[in-house]
Amino acid sequence: MIEVKEVSKGFGRKKVLNGVSFTAEKGKITSLIGINGVGKTTIMKAIMNLIPINRGEIFIDGEKLSEKSYEKITFIPDAITLLPQMRIGEAFIFMADFYDSWNEERANELLQFFKLKKSDRISELSKGNTAKVNLLLGLALDVDYILMDEPFSGIDIFSREQIANVFTSHLIEDRGVIITTHEINDIEHLIDKVVLLDNGVVLKEFETEEVRENEGKSVIDVMREVYRA
Amino acid sequence: MDVKFNNRDPVYVQVIRHFKEQIAKGIFEPGQEIPSRRELANQLKINPNTVQRAYKEMEEQGLIFTEGNLPSRISKDELVLKSVREELIIEAVETFVYSVRSINVPLQEALNLVKDKYEGEKQ
Repeated sequence: MIEVKEVSKGFGRKKVLNGVSFTAEKGKITSLIGINGVGKTTIMKAIMNLIPINRGEIFIDGEKLSEKSYEKITFIPDAITLLPQMRIGEAFIFMADFYDSWNEERANELLQFFKLKKSDRISELSKGNTAKVNLLLGLALDVDYILMDEPFSGIDIFSREQIANVFTSHLIEDRGVIITTHEINDIEHLIDKVVLLDNGVVLKEFETEEVRENEGKSVIDVMREVYRA
Repeated sequence: MDVKFNNRDPVYVQVIRHFKEQIAKGIFEPGQEIPSRRELANQLKINPNTVQRAYKEMEEQGLIFTEGNLPSRISKDELVLKSVREELIIEAVETFVYSVRSINVPLQEALNLVKDKYEGEKQ
């Protein structure tokens, strides 16, 4: 389980996170939802210890993030971080050098799944295919937790469907996923849990099936209530 | 398998309903093997945890059964399967009766319309 406890973070005078708390369990897909600028990406970077936080604590399976944690948790940013002149095959070698948790077999499987070729150069890929490579590099790691920042943004509908299919496959099975999005439609039926954010605080945290069952509401219904209140 | 899910009813309830319809229509036969949790999640594009919950519920209701590590199967109990069909019919009729009653349609008129419509649609 990833536990975010009372985390605050400011950049200069601007407070981005103001005491954010929530949990994300293994085997579940948790979605961080909020409009642009509410601090979704900042939360992910804080979990990965890529930025220092001003207050609060973050635990991964009860422990604070350490060097070893990077073999257990991975972050897929919204844009690919590898050098654009690399070919996909070279990116594989790079990842294998960097991570003990790199799973070549799974990487090749994903390559087929997304219909990509090792000889493709990253800089020459379409936007949708670049997003798929980015996702592939993260998913091919044998980690327990995957953080994905806006995997659907700016991608055509077929690529979106393909990416959504990953969530129902064994490629995700039993891992804990945190995904940020402002496009809930694509994944409404895929997510277990929703954390609604606004102005650096958590407005509501709920299980999707529970609100459907107990209140007869869709995720969007709850969002309307919370954000328009 | 293509199912349109609405966003307001629990997805697992909609999955169970889909199974009941397939059973009532005879598409799922007694003892027939059903997809694994993962396969179904993938086919329907829904969360595997949701399928898990639907299967658990159906298992409790006796609609499906699992022996050891084998794939789950549709119940062989004819009584259970018959009651599924009845349940769906009664539910549909109740909804219909409620709607026509709320606009004061006399029984005979409603029945005639049902008859016409039903036979018309069939052709």
